[in-house]
Amino acid sequence: MAKKITVELLTRVEGHGAIEIVEENGKYKAFVKIFEGPRFYEYLVVGQNYINIPRIVSRICGICYVSHRTASARAIEDAFGAKIPPELELLRKLANVGAFFESHGLHIYFLALPDYFGYSSLLEMVKDYPNLVDRGFKVKNLGVEIMKVLTGKNFHGENLIPGGFANLPTKDELKKLKDQLEEIKEDLDETLQLVDSLKHPNLTTPREFQLSIYNPQGWDFYSNQLILVEKDKKTLFTKKEYEIFVHEEPVEYSMAKQSTVKGKPVLVGPLARVNIYKDQFSEETKKLISQMKTKFPSENPFHQNVARAVELIEARSLALDYIDTLLSDYPSKPHIELKPKKGRGFGVVEAPRGTLYHTYEFDENGYCTNSNIITPTAVLQTSMELDAQRLAESYSSLPLEEVKFLAERLIRSYDPCISCSVHMWSLSP
Amino acid sequence: MGKTTNNGSKKPTVGIMYFTSCGGCQCEILTHANLLKKLVDLVEIKYFPMGSSNNTLETDFDIIFIEGSVSTDHDLELLHIARERSKILVAVGTCACFGGVQSSKNAESSLNEMLRYVYGDKIPTVVKALKPKPLKDYVKVDYELPGCPVSGKDFVLAVQYLLNGLDPFLPKMAVCYECKQAQTPCRLQASYMCVGSLSNAGCGAPCTFKGLGCYGCRGDHEDPNYKELVKLFRQKGYSDRDIYNFVKVFRGNYVREKLLPYLDLDIPLPEDEKPKEVN
Ligand code: SF4
Ligand code: SF4
Ligand code: SF4
Repeated sequence: MAKKITVELLTRVEGHGAIEIVEENGKYKAFVKIFEGPRFYEYLVVGQNYINIPRIVSRICGICYVSHRTASARAIEDAFGAKIPPELELLRKLANVGAFFESHGLHIYFLALPDYFGYSSLLEMVKDYPNLVDRGFKVKNLGVEIMKVLTGKNFHGENLIPGGFANLPTKDELKKLKDQLEEIKEDLDETLQLVDSLKHPNLTTPREFQLSIYNPQGWDFYSNQLILVEKDKKTLFTKKEYEIFVHEEPVEYSMAKQSTVKGKPVLVGPLARVNIYKDQFSEETKKLISQMKTKFPSENPFHQNVARAVELIEARSLALDYIDTLLSDYPSKPHIELKPKKGRGFGVVEAPRGTLYHTYEFDENGYCTNSNIITPTAVLQTSMELDAQRLAESYSSLPLEEVKFLAERLIRSYDPCISCSVHMWSLSP
Repeated sequence: MGKTTNNGSKKPTVGIMYFTSCGGCQCEILTHANLLKKLVDLVEIKYFPMGSSNNTLETDFDIIFIEGSVSTDHDLELLHIARERSKILVAVGTCACFGGVQSSKNAESSLNEMLRYVYGDKIPTVVKALKPKPLKDYVKVDYELPGCPVSGKDFVLAVQYLLNGLDPFLPKMAVCYECKQAQTPCRLQASYMCVGSLSNAGCGAPCTFKGLGCYGCRGDHEDPNYKELVKLFRQKGYSDRDIYNFVKVFRGNYVREKLLPYLDLDIPLPEDEKPKEVN
């Protein structure tokens, strides 16, 4: 008889989605159904002056707005042939550290942990695990604080603009962030120990493809190059070639387009990044990884939760380096002047959930004529479906309810940002 | 209306719902650790899918907070359920209050044009899309907490007031007032585009403080003077196209009636905004 497993509303994820797994003759097929309303972002920016674009695309996602702003600012600068000085790059990366703390902190504590502890929400755990709940808030809210200092507001701060920043943070503000980052070390170490010690469901999904931005120095927030890992083969390509490698197409059952590499799922995000960069992390991070029960590279999607905790350690150590450099070499001006010109630009960043791609075309006065945005969650849909199929196969002897719960946890481990995924694409050639 | 009944020892029931949105307002709410920790003692949160996996709508609610604009038939169905079951309905954030950024082209494009641009001929069928609109276009909304995102301070205040059976009092005045208080030099005078004079204060004017113009993410205050502002922008050398582009970002659902009368732009009424013909 045909089995059907449906989770009608995925909870503790951002946005509206469902998953359905159907069995017929022993074969499973999974569908990640995204029914979040369309938000038409690429359409909204067409006709707009470049100045207004970051503030519009920021609203694709409240959790990773800094990533969207960064990608769009970089794409705009690229189109106009401008390059911001290294000190401003550091400030921009520091803002991205904030996004990682907020997003990964929110995911680990608020979205993922309750499952492992048998609760339905973190707030329900306040009485039994007060310290854990406090730590969750602390890690996440440090991210919010960093973003606020750099962007001007907790969320959707406007200060990150094409060309740099409208205004620089003061040295005192940076020093204060430094103190807070020093102070949070123990909490991050404990977070890593905790997620490493949890019992993660067993599931092995060998990855055909893994993708991340590429920086020869190691794990980073953005770059103009990408790396595609196919078993033992590594291919480097540039941001201009993104759409040659990553192919998008709409499907009936989802408001988000699906992306594949050579017709196959591609893994992006924390697990792909840690798998790719594990040997190039800072000494501190490498040492912690070597003491862990979880081993990388990993093929278990539930280890995405551990990979996030690893990334927080690395992001903190980078942030401290950035601030030290900035304090000794404070930027002389907040931004560079941009001169619009006709052309197309590209911006690729590692958002907390994975590789994020923005591209825009402009006319000679800086008005947008075309755009395309590919978000990590849209890219991850096919990986989620593949994993859900594997999960249903591996656990076919379990009662349906249990498989359903595991499937829900599986999707959650991807931390899908459904609002992002339905921002809507386009770019008519 | 406006009172949460505390029948005996029963705690008030609260829901936090979201429609088509970015999740930013819920993120803002989630930064308020102390409020949330207290709230779990004071109320029963029965519905909060972003934060909890245990949710029900099969109950009466005292207050439901809603983030996001109504953009699908699914959103609309939930909205009607929320209105039916909750004594108090609060729109949280600019998406819920005015439609948000996703409606910034509502005055110039029909839903069909937007869908076609995005999906071509392959429009997904999983849900029926609607033109992004605020909650109040469909049901009665008791309170509105604007902002993109909502101001955490407003939210905390509203919760406290509502739980005590009081009307939340949110003064409506121009963002300019907050610039004056903070002694921030006026951006408009420095020739930046700024719609702070139209916009509802309460955010503390963080954008003008950083040296940018306010783009009015909190919607209009009670008596906005569009005509005067258009005159000023023109004096500063901005084209009507630029004025429209700037203002529509957060005002897509009402630029046509409020702004376009003062601009020399010919923007045809989209097909789905035309009054339906009655035979
Ligand atoms: S009002 Fe702004 S922050 Fe809130 S959900 Fe809408 S876009 Fe996001
Ligand atoms: S900067 Fe804008 S909001 Fe502030 S006083 Fe000037 S016009 Fe008003
Ligand atoms: S200053 Fe203007 S744009 Fe900035 S938060 Fe306040 S209302 Fe929104």
